[in-house]
Parts: sequence; structure tokens; C-alpha cells
Amino acid sequence: MSEAKLVTVTINGVESQVPAGELLIKAAQDEGTYIPRFCWHQRMSPVGMCRMCLVEIETPRGPMMVTACTSPVSDGMVVDTESEEVKKAQEAILEFLLANHPLDCPVCDKGGECPLQDQALAYGPGESRFVEIKRSFEKPIPISELVLLDRERCILCALCTRFSEEISGDPLIEFQHRGNTTEVNTFPDLPFSSYFSGNTVQICPVGALTAKPYRFRARPWDLQKVESSSLQDTAHPRIEIHASQNEILRYTGVDNDATNHGWLSDKARFGYEYLRSDQRLTSPLVRRGGELVEVSWTEAIDTAANRLDLIKSEDGGEALAVIGGAQGTNEDAYAISKFARVALGSNNVDARLDDALASHFLSASVDRATIADIDDADTIVVWAPDLKEEHPTLYLRVRRAAQELGATLVVIHPRATGLDDRASHKLTYRPGGGYELLDELANGDHPEVSQAFAAEKVVALVGIASHADGPQLAESVAALVRRKAVHAKLMPLNSRANTYGALDMGLAPDLLPGRVGLDTIGCANLAASWGDIPAVIGRDTRQILQGLDSGEVRGLVLVGADPINDLPEPSIAVDALDAAEYVIAIDLFLNDSNRNADVILPASGFSEKEGTVTNVEGRVQKVNQIRPAPGQARTDWAILDDIATRMGVSLGLASAEGITKEIATVSPAYEDLTWDSLEWDHRDGIVVPIHGAQAINHIPVALQGSKAPTAKLTLHVARVMYDNGVRLQHSPSLHKLGPGAVAHLNPGDAPSIGARDGHTIKVVTTRGEGEFTCVLDEGTPTGVVYVPFNQQGASSLGSDPVVRVTTS
Amino acid sequence: MSRWSEGTQERARQIIARYPEKRSAVMPLLYLAMSEEGYLTGDGMEEVGRWCEITPAQVLSVASFYTMYKRERTGQYLVSCCTSITCMLLGGDDVLHAVEDESGVPHGETDDDGLLSVEHVECIGACGGAPAVQINYELIEGVSPEKARQLVRWLKKARPDVVNSDEMQALFGGRTSFDWGISEKSGAIGPYPAFQPLGTVGSEAAD
Ligand code: SF4
Ligand code: FES
Ligand code: FES
Repeated sequence: MSEAKLVTVTINGVESQVPAGELLIKAAQDEGTYIPRFCWHQRMSPVGMCRMCLVEIETPRGPMMVTACTSPVSDGMVVDTESEEVKKAQEAILEFLLANHPLDCPVCDKGGECPLQDQALAYGPGESRFVEIKRSFEKPIPISELVLLDRERCILCALCTRFSEEISGDPLIEFQHRGNTTEVNTFPDLPFSSYFSGNTVQICPVGALTAKPYRFRARPWDLQKVESSSLQDTAHPRIEIHASQNEILRYTGVDNDATNHGWLSDKARFGYEYLRSDQRLTSPLVRRGGELVEVSWTEAIDTAANRLDLIKSEDGGEALAVIGGAQGTNEDAYAISKFARVALGSNNVDARLDDALASHFLSASVDRATIADIDDADTIVVWAPDLKEEHPTLYLRVRRAAQELGATLVVIHPRATGLDDRASHKLTYRPGGGYELLDELANGDHPEVSQAFAAEKVVALVGIASHADGPQLAESVAALVRRKAVHAKLMPLNSRANTYGALDMGLAPDLLPGRVGLDTIGCANLAASWGDIPAVIGRDTRQILQGLDSGEVRGLVLVGADPINDLPEPSIAVDALDAAEYVIAIDLFLNDSNRNADVILPASGFSEKEGTVTNVEGRVQKVNQIRPAPGQARTDWAILDDIATRMGVSLGLASAEGITKEIATVSPAYEDLTWDSLEWDHRDGIVVPIHGAQAINHIPVALQGSKAPTAKLTLHVARVMYDNGVRLQHSPSLHKLGPGAVAHLNPGDAPSIGARDGHTIKVVTTRGEGEFTCVLDEGTPTGVVYVPFNQQGASSLGSDPVVRVTTS
Repeated sequence: MSRWSEGTQERARQIIARYPEKRSAVMPLLYLAMSEEGYLTGDGMEEVGRWCEITPAQVLSVASFYTMYKRERTGQYLVSCCTSITCMLLGGDDVLHAVEDESGVPHGETDDDGLLSVEHVECIGACGGAPAVQINYELIEGVSPEKARQLVRWLKKARPDVVNSDEMQALFGGRTSFDWGISEKSGAIGPYPAFQPLGTVGSEAAD
């Protein structure tokens, strides 16, 4: 981007150079003059509704009052933000705003951090001449499961309504009964069920919108705060954690250019309740005579280490494996990687759960798109999961690029997605038919899409849109995009927030820390710090599970993973864990996969430990601690270091910061990365590889794929924002928001099946069957049955796309 | 799947085709929705939202601003009595009271048979012919309280399918603002304005 042209403005007698065309309110702010405001937000278009930002500018006809939020600066502009006239105007506006405001600050959540309260104090008249009766409303009314509305507090700034229309694209709240009786509200019985509703609570300049999980729980001045990055979203949006008495009470979004612009999905905003759940594991458990009994850490570590040592001595490291590590910090992931390689002597380690792209593709540094590249793109191709469901921050960025920044958006997905209304081109295909569509695209059968590829800056977000096509499809898509648009940048997508960090730490059977492939050179480089490690590529998650089933793998360490509920083909995990000889689980909760483990070790969770994490674009950020872990829970790295020590192997892991230092030493991509730099100079993080080290030069290649199944109906299973994952299960506010056991059908398919909206249907595949509530939905194409993945009360159907639906 | 009749759907398509953006058609479509059900129901607004590709909340935001979009059941004849300044000075309130008294329907309400709704309205642009009354937005000027009573009795008895301004002016009106010139043959067929593209225009059977 070229440097913006500068113009000269004089603000309160001080001359300064500001970018031409910038809004006065922003230019003044950047120059250090705060102009009070309610309705202006730097991430939204101005509306000039509240009039709080009135200032005087000089004109040939004398001083004129303008709203600073709608006036672009111009060369030679002379502005007074503090004149008597301006003060009079500010007082008048505040007197008007307060005429109907209830002034119930002592019982209002916003009190203490309220722009109306603050600005009334700073710029208001102090007294009101209004003696008439104020407006009153029924209060509060729930406008969704998460948000409450007290209409009498509202000052009608339209921040919430603009957010829902401009930013998140689900305008389910609007001004109603405009005129004397204007109020914000929903359509009757149609709640504000937006995935992003919590943002309106944060930006509301009064206490009109409040969050149910936080309401009446704290006063802002009592809160302890620390900045961190959310691990409920692959982009790791920046958040502030607010806690009181060691209990987390809320997360708020932090505005940064790099990732989230201050916005959070409701899952990232409210996803903290599980941390204080009384179901958390708090002491080590060991199975004795079939029963889990509480033991001391010494005893638990001793038990685990002895058994691992025994298996290792009998059958070698190949008989041991580790699954997990994609939900924690990089330091934990590094510890797992080192533990597996050095202590267990095994490359059987995987942070992916058989639902991910190839490790080398996910970790490649070549032509990798950053989130900011989305803003610059001429064409954005999304052939991936529905971003709105799985990658909410990316969803907002792509949406904005298409809506505000003029990008051509191509969306390819088996059914409707959240971005369709902003897509210039949308292609739908039958699950399992991805390769056929790819062939068509390669042959130029879709000229409008070919034309979009011809743009200069192309960014492609690729991921597994449907398990029916397998993980290779995304790589073939990437290959095609690169063929059509040589300079295209790629963003390979994966669920689970710290997968990228985990892979960068070597949590894949063919990777080593620092985006290094497991080969002789990689091993040799690492030898200095890790000693000799096995050079044969290990098993991935599926192979580990198959090995457990067959007995070739005898011992498994599960770290924060629940393969039974997370694998596209759960039966593999069920069989494996049934057959497993010895399982050690390190986790926050008991789950279906670790319930029968032999040793269960309580782990500390998010906000209970410090460390670094790496997001979808390779951005490393710091996560911070604000509360102690419950009971005797400890960090993953400390637990693994102890087990290794007891096995007679020293991993030398002494502190999280020490591990970061070790990572910086052993891994080329993370060289020079320190906590200091992340805490002071790079609060928004640093994108790795830092020195352009391109350890993994993976270039995606087109692979042959299967044909679409010819069955009458094909199954499309996809993750949605709220599922039955163990963290959400213990987050009551969010858990109930999942769709539950539903199966979507196109209304056109319903008559032949006899299915009716809201009635029960039976869905049968080769891998499973179950009863679902039928949802008739135009967004699901004919011939497709769409079932949200891992829902409460829903049976698993596996990933075979051939499906049969009956009414009984 | 639309809940509207094929004819209404066709009109909706034609109306939408006139605008570069579908959402611009929201106001005429709200009248269409009213003409389908006699007033604007929640379902009607949701339907408009589907056609215009906006959310029901956005539809309601428009609908709740304008008093001519009736969100409550409205009688076959909507009697609107002007009580703004000019009409008020010339006896508009008396006309309103006469209508209320004769019909037994207080302003803002509808009778039990669904025949008459009475409302008082702000200036309807007929100050020169004050006091003014509208039946289904068909104007009558120079109405006296006595004529207003006759008007109500006539509506109850004759129950015309179509109400026409000129016809009612001749029967119940008085002094007009000016001579409107061309006589209007068609009129309104329900409690919404007579617009050709909305299909809410009826032709007078009489001539
Ligand atoms: S509810 Fe809050 S954000 Fe929305 S218009 Fe009212 S004051 Fe503004
Ligand atoms: S901030 Fe400028 S009018 Fe509201
Ligand atoms: S005041 Fe009644 S028509 Fe103008």
C-alpha cells in the first residue's frame, strides 16, 4: 500500500499532519484529542446519530458546528473541540440523552465502565431541567439466550444494530416503532440468536444490552484483568480475561488489526464457564481393582512411569503413543513432542484427530496467507468448512473483505454457508463429489470462477468441507488454485485452536519442532538437544488407534483429547480404547475416551497457565494466567517432565518460559521468539517463521479422488459452533445453544421420504444409525442429508456418504 | 414456499423487478402483505422479509414506523378522521365524535363484525377542504358531523365492495379544496390505499 496522502489540520490551535480523507474524530484521536462520542465506532461506518461529537470548524461564513464522526478532514481545516459553543452543545446533548435515561447506574452492569456515565461526568451539565416522566419498559427482556435488553437505558446510538447488519451479517435486532417511541428490539419470537451477539454487549455505550452469564456478577472496578488470546477460535482472537476472586467472570474482545478487530464469537466470549465447573479433575486417579481411586501425584507418576517403562523395555517405543495436544499451549505441545520422542522413544504422536489435512500441508511456510492478506485480496476462494461455524474470526474478516473492501468471493461448499449472501459466486456439490467439481473447474467449466482466479491477488482458504471427500481434496483444491493463480496465497484450515502450534512443535508422526520434517537431517539437527531419536515416521492418530486395537500399540497417553467424540469415524476410537492395554489420560475432565483409562491426571487449563500459542496464519501470541488451577491440577509439561524423570530420562523442562527459550533454540521457525518481545513489543503477536526459514517446502499437488456416490441421498456431516465437546458440556450458557440431534433435508426431498418438519426421522449409514428431528431447509440441496457433528443426544453416523432416511 | 396466492406472488415479482436491490421493494410488498390478509400479520412480515432478503426485524422496523401499515386486524372500511390543526379548527373533532358515536367504535378500534375501524389521523393534505375524512384512504372533504353519521350508516348498510372518493364526496361531502377535474372511476377495495400495481384498486360497478 502506498503511503496515504497527508493534509494539515489545526485542532485546538495545534497544527498536525493527518491522512487525507480520515474522519475528523479519528484524526483528532490519533493526534491526542479525544472528541466525546457514542455512536461512532472505528470498525463501523459512521451514522452521526448521537450528536455527541459536535465540534466547531472555521468556514468562510464563520464557525460552523459539525459532527466530527461524519466529517472527513480537509487541508487547512481549523477545528475547535473545546469552544464555548461546543461545550454548550455537549451539555445540551447530554441533557437530552439523560432526559429518558433511568440513571440506575448503581444496579447497572455497565456502571463504572459506561461511556454515558463517563461522558456525562466529563462533558455534561450536571443538572437536568427535565421533570417529566421518563420512558419506561418491561425490563429486562431476553433478546436471546445470552443477551438481555433494558430498553429504557438505550440511547439509540445504533451501534448494536449496525454491528449486526454490517459486521456479523445477521440483523436480527433493529429499531422498532421509530419516532417518539423508538426502541431496539427483535421481531416477536425471533430471538437475536447470532453467533456474535455478545459483541453488542461490549460496544453498547450504556447498560441496555447485558450478557446473561455476567449480569450482576461483578463491578468493573473489582475485576482483575489480564490480556490473552482465545483458544476457542483458530485465529486466536485477542481477549482480556476478567476475574474476581480467582473466578473468571468474562472475556472481552481486544481491538487489534492482526486478528479480530475487537470482535469475538459468542463461543470465544462466553466459553469460560467450564473452567470453574465442579466436574473438573482435581486430583490424580489410578485404577485399582477396576475402580478409580485418588492417589498422590508421586504415586500416580510412579504407576504411569513404571508401566510405560515396562512396555518400552518389552516392545520398544513403537508400542507407545501419544494423541492430543492441540488445545493447549505450544510449551505443552513441545513437552509432549519431546516426551514422546525422547522418553518414550516413539514417533507415534499426533495432535490431529483423523480429521485434518496432511501435516506437511498444514505446516508449510510457502505462500502461506496471513489474515491481513484477506483484506488485500482481489479474489477470495473459500472451499472449506462453513467459516461461520468453525472459524468465526476468519468469517468476519472474509465477510468484511467481500462487503466493504470489494473482494470477489467464491464459496464452494456442499450446502448453504454463512458467507453465501456475500459471495459473488457460490458453487454447491454433492458430498463426495468434490473431485468432479474440481475437474470441472480445472477444465474451465465455470467461467465466472475462472475469471475470479485470474485476479492479481488471490487468497484461498481450503479445508475439509466434507469428510466424504477426504482430506486430500483440500490439497488438490490448493494445487488447482495455484495452477490458475500462480501467486495465490493459501490458508489451510483445521479445527481445534492450537493445531498449528502443536504441529509446529512436532506433534505429528512425520514432523519435528520448528516446521521441520522428520528425516535424517531434522533428527541430526535436533540431536544436540534431544539426543538420539527414532528416525522412522510414526503412526498418525488413525494408525495409533488401529495399533491399539491389534495390540501392536500397547500404551497410549491421551492429552486433552476425546477421539471417541471427535473422530469422523468414532467406531475406530471406540474399538481401540476398548482393546487398549494401558491408557494414561491428562485432562481437565473425564470424557468418553478417558473414562476407562488406567491413570488419569488432572491438568491445568486455559487462563491457569502461561505460554505461547500459534494461530491459523502462524501468528504466535502469549496467553496468560489469571487464576490458579483447581485442586492439584498441573500443567501438561510439568506432568510429562515428571513421568519422564521417573522413567529415568531427563527432559530438562523447568518452566514454561524456559520451554519457550528451548523452542527458540531448537526450532528454526521460532528462533529469537521470547516472552519479552510478545509482552512488550508485539502484543499482537509475531508471525512465524521469523527469519523466513522455510523448513517445510510443501507444494500441494493434485491427487486423484473418488467419484460422487450414486446413492439417492448423500450424507453431509459438519461441525457447528456449539457441539457436545467436553468443554461446552461444562459451559451451561453455551451448551444449550447447540442444534441437538437434527437432520436437515431439502423440502423437495421430504415428500418421497414422508418426512415432515419437526418430526422424527431415522438416518441409516453403513457405520451407524440414529433418530433425528427433521428440519426442512432450503439451504440443504436436494439429495443431501445434513447432520451437525457431535450433538447432544445424536448418534454418530460415521463419514460414509451413502445414507438412507426413513420415517420410523 | 410462499404463503401468498399466485397472483400476489406475481405482483411481488413485478414490483421487485423494478428495483436494483430487492430490499428496496419492502414498502410496496408490505401493502401486498396487507392486501393478502387484511392487515399486516407476523407471517406477512416474515414473507416480505423472504422476498426482500432482509430479516423480519428489519421488515418490522419499517412497518412499525408508518401508521398506514396496520399491524392489527382492521375492518373492511377504515374511517380516518383528520384532527390536525386546520380540520380541528373547522370541527374535525366533532366529526370524529360523530363517527365514533354513530358507529359505536372508539378511535383506534375495530367493531366486532370486522366492518369498521375508526382512527384519527394527522393532516391528510386536504386542509383546503377541511374537515376531511378518508374511507380506505379515499378522500371526502367538507364533512359535517351530520354527514359523517350518514356516511357511517351508508357504509354499514350498503357495504360497497369498492369505495370511491368522487362518489362519497357527492353523497357526504361539502366544500372541496378545489375542483379536482377528472373524476376517478376506480376506488379502494380494502383498508389500504388503491394502487394499481398492488392490485388494491377496484372499479366501480355502477358506471
Ligand atoms: S442498545 Fe445500546 S448499542 Fe444498541 S442502540 Fe441502544 S445504546 Fe446503542
Ligand atoms: S459520535 Fe458523531 S454523532 Fe454520534
Ligand atoms: S389538517 Fe386536516 S387535512 Fe390538513
